[in-house]
Amino acid sequence: MKNSTENAIVMKGIVKEFKVLNRREGLKGSILDLFSRDYRTVTAVDNISVEIPKGQIIGYLGPNGAGKSTTIKMMTGVLEPTRGEILVNGCVPYKNRTKNAENIGVVFGQRSQLWWSLPLIESFRLLKEIYLISEEDYREMLDLFRSLVDIEPLLHKTVRQMSLGQRTLSDILAAFLHNPDIVFLDEPTIGLDVSMKAKIRTLIHALNQEKHTTVILTTHDMGDVDALCRRIVIIDKGKMLYDNDIAHLKGFFGSYRTLKVRMDGDLQAHAEEIRKEVDFSVSADEEWISILVDEEKEKVLDVLGRLQHTHNIRDMQLEEISTEEIIKKIYEEGVE
Amino acid sequence: MHRSIGFYLRIYGKILVQDIKSKMSYRSDFIISTIGMICTNIAGFVSFWILFQNFPSVDGWGYYEMLFLYGFSLVSLTPVQCLFDNNWSLRIYVYSGDFIKYCFRPINLFFYYQSEIFDIKGLGQLAFGIGTLIYAWAKLGLPVTVLMILKMIVFLITASLIMIALQNAAAATCFWIQNSFYVLDLVFRFKDYAKYPITIFSPVFRFIFTFLMPIAFIAYYPSLVILRPDEIPLLSWLSPVIGLVFFYLSYKFWMYGAMKYSGTGS
Amino acid sequence: MNLKKYLTLTRAGIIESLQFRLSAFIMVIGNMLYLIVVYFLWKAIYDSVGNQPINGMSFYDTLIYLVLATALSGFMEMYTVWEMGRNIQSGKIVLDLLRPMEYRKYLFWSYSGSFVTQFFFTFLPTFIVVAVLTHGAIPMGINLLYFVISVVMAVSINYSIDFIVGTICIYTESIWGINIMKQVVVMLLSGATVPLAFFPETLRKVVSCLPFQSIYNAPLTLLLNGDPDPVYVLQTLGIQLLWVVVMLLAGKLFWRVSLRRITVNGG
Repeated sequence: MKNSTENAIVMKGIVKEFKVLNRREGLKGSILDLFSRDYRTVTAVDNISVEIPKGQIIGYLGPNGAGKSTTIKMMTGVLEPTRGEILVNGCVPYKNRTKNAENIGVVFGQRSQLWWSLPLIESFRLLKEIYLISEEDYREMLDLFRSLVDIEPLLHKTVRQMSLGQRTLSDILAAFLHNPDIVFLDEPTIGLDVSMKAKIRTLIHALNQEKHTTVILTTHDMGDVDALCRRIVIIDKGKMLYDNDIAHLKGFFGSYRTLKVRMDGDLQAHAEEIRKEVDFSVSADEEWISILVDEEKEKVLDVLGRLQHTHNIRDMQLEEISTEEIIKKIYEEGVE
Repeated sequence: MHRSIGFYLRIYGKILVQDIKSKMSYRSDFIISTIGMICTNIAGFVSFWILFQNFPSVDGWGYYEMLFLYGFSLVSLTPVQCLFDNNWSLRIYVYSGDFIKYCFRPINLFFYYQSEIFDIKGLGQLAFGIGTLIYAWAKLGLPVTVLMILKMIVFLITASLIMIALQNAAAATCFWIQNSFYVLDLVFRFKDYAKYPITIFSPVFRFIFTFLMPIAFIAYYPSLVILRPDEIPLLSWLSPVIGLVFFYLSYKFWMYGAMKYSGTGS
Repeated sequence: MNLKKYLTLTRAGIIESLQFRLSAFIMVIGNMLYLIVVYFLWKAIYDSVGNQPINGMSFYDTLIYLVLATALSGFMEMYTVWEMGRNIQSGKIVLDLLRPMEYRKYLFWSYSGSFVTQFFFTFLPTFIVVAVLTHGAIPMGINLLYFVISVVMAVSINYSIDFIVGTICIYTESIWGINIMKQVVVMLLSGATVPLAFFPETLRKVVSCLPFQSIYNAPLTLLLNGDPDPVYVLQTLGIQLLWVVVMLLAGKLFWRVSLRRITVNGG
């Protein structure tokens, strides 16, 4: 039974350490490795505490190797934490892996958990057996799926024959099939095109609304976060950097504005020049040069005025700071 | 929710049916693989036959007795071939990190992993093995009674369990060492040695092949019960128990490795 | 030909295969175990006929022959069929074809690093152990030179056969089936499992007309013969050379014809 006042996941002071082999380089190194091995301890997750209420979609962010997957593995009961307490749906996941698995759904990036050579509908039927889903619940869920996405063309395709987008979609549906309390989505939109990303976000949102499923979403894609999550947790190098609403985060950086300017010629070269003139981070894409201005240091209009003296600006835009830029700043500087 | 043996059998049955259906849809692969399997068996038999063209007996074991051992080892190797073939892919899943995908289901991990593949080619070997056994049985003039056949089945299962146990343990080494292919290959080659009577070895190796690398249980000890009913050693009678114990230990070892491995990379 | 380019591949291969220290160790154990089984099996066989030489081969001859055949097979197995089959199925073959090397050369030299490790970890220890255990039953003379020349040609023939069988994977998706058939046929008809000397007369005649006997039977009989008749040596090496050329050309031709299928179908 889903109860909105309880926490789906509670973690207190979780630490996870790994032993890693130091490999030596070159031909001589490999010969040495044959005879002696040298290990070091790596702390993948360092003292993380978090409470996730039921029914929330939470964005779990961090650069590669930040410890996101390790945390997810601990929440799903695959890994045992080195220290700390963890409760998922009120039980300790690594002690009750199988029991825990009944109440969770997992989509792990591009690793499809469906039977590779079976048509999707057969995979669903097998999952129905494995999760002991009643005929009634199964039909109801399939009807819900039908109302959300056009699954008919997929049902009789084998996973092998599907495109990456179709496969991800199928995996997400499979993760929700047994109506779990919590669904873990690890990089669900990685490698997909814009329209498929939008489709998948809509699907996740709808399933969360419909079934009040808690969703833990790890991603690199700020689009996912902006579309789905109100709350985000950011970790880097195993440590928690931030845990709060996105709006709150934006408040921190309220004095920041993005000034975008357009000019003729090589934008990268212009950006390089501007970098020498201003004290802010500057980046360029094909169309715009973006300058992230902290108005406590210098007003946007002053910056613009200065640039007009040195460059021929053809067009300009002023934007609020984007989530992506905020995250980038947090990685770089942390939150005070 | 408790999941019973009946539950697991039903799941296995469903996966099996689906798997066979999908294999049949790759017809040419299926046919060529079957031919390949038949070739393997024929070649094995031909080398056996060539050998006995030159020697009438080996260490007091005649042609048909050796043929019986040969057939026995073929049949007892079938279950490991058919049901546990996914062990060969284990190191690849572990190496790439894909093994993690098996860890999120609310059923026994070992079962879930092994159930994914049923290697139907092994059935050809089964047929070939049974044919050889029947032929040797007739030529040796062994009695055909219900008890004998029952004994035969029990001891064939015993022998299978030992081979399965060896292969599980060998496959599970990939949770600790990087290129476990060689371990698996080493154990796989055991099957080639299984078909010889243990008496040809010196006492030291007899001990090793009985207790340390129990190759002698794959065909020799179990088949003695049928082949030489007058001189059955205690080890032959014990082999069903030993088979069960070994299987259980290998299963525990496999699961321990899987839990310890914990998807380090990525 | 720029040899350095190829040797870089060899070096990378050595490093890669050395990283697996346990596997190297287990490989040695595996071969020792095989040695033991073969030893006792053939000892029992020879005991039961009163230790007489059979078909001109003494117990030690047979032992050396079989053990070295296994060591050679470990050394010659390049998994070419698997590699090609997988690359053809995944379409990666198209990338390999873009390399500035002929595909058959690229594949060979990428694997050649393992030759070196296999030689030191498997073949050499096995050779030494066998030589010691059989109390110098391996003649140490000019025959060693013939053996080395013969092995080099055997590697070439074996690779050509692998390459031809690998090319078949362009036409069928069954890598396993094709590979196992090749392996079984090569091992049996080359005399790697049972020396050709034990084959019944007619079968031996048929087999001697096939390329397979040049892979194992030729180098091993040359090794075991301490005082070889020059005519016999020339004849054996000549036949091998013939097969080297024939199989090389056959492989190249088959590949060229089959490649059209890839380029036409787009992989």
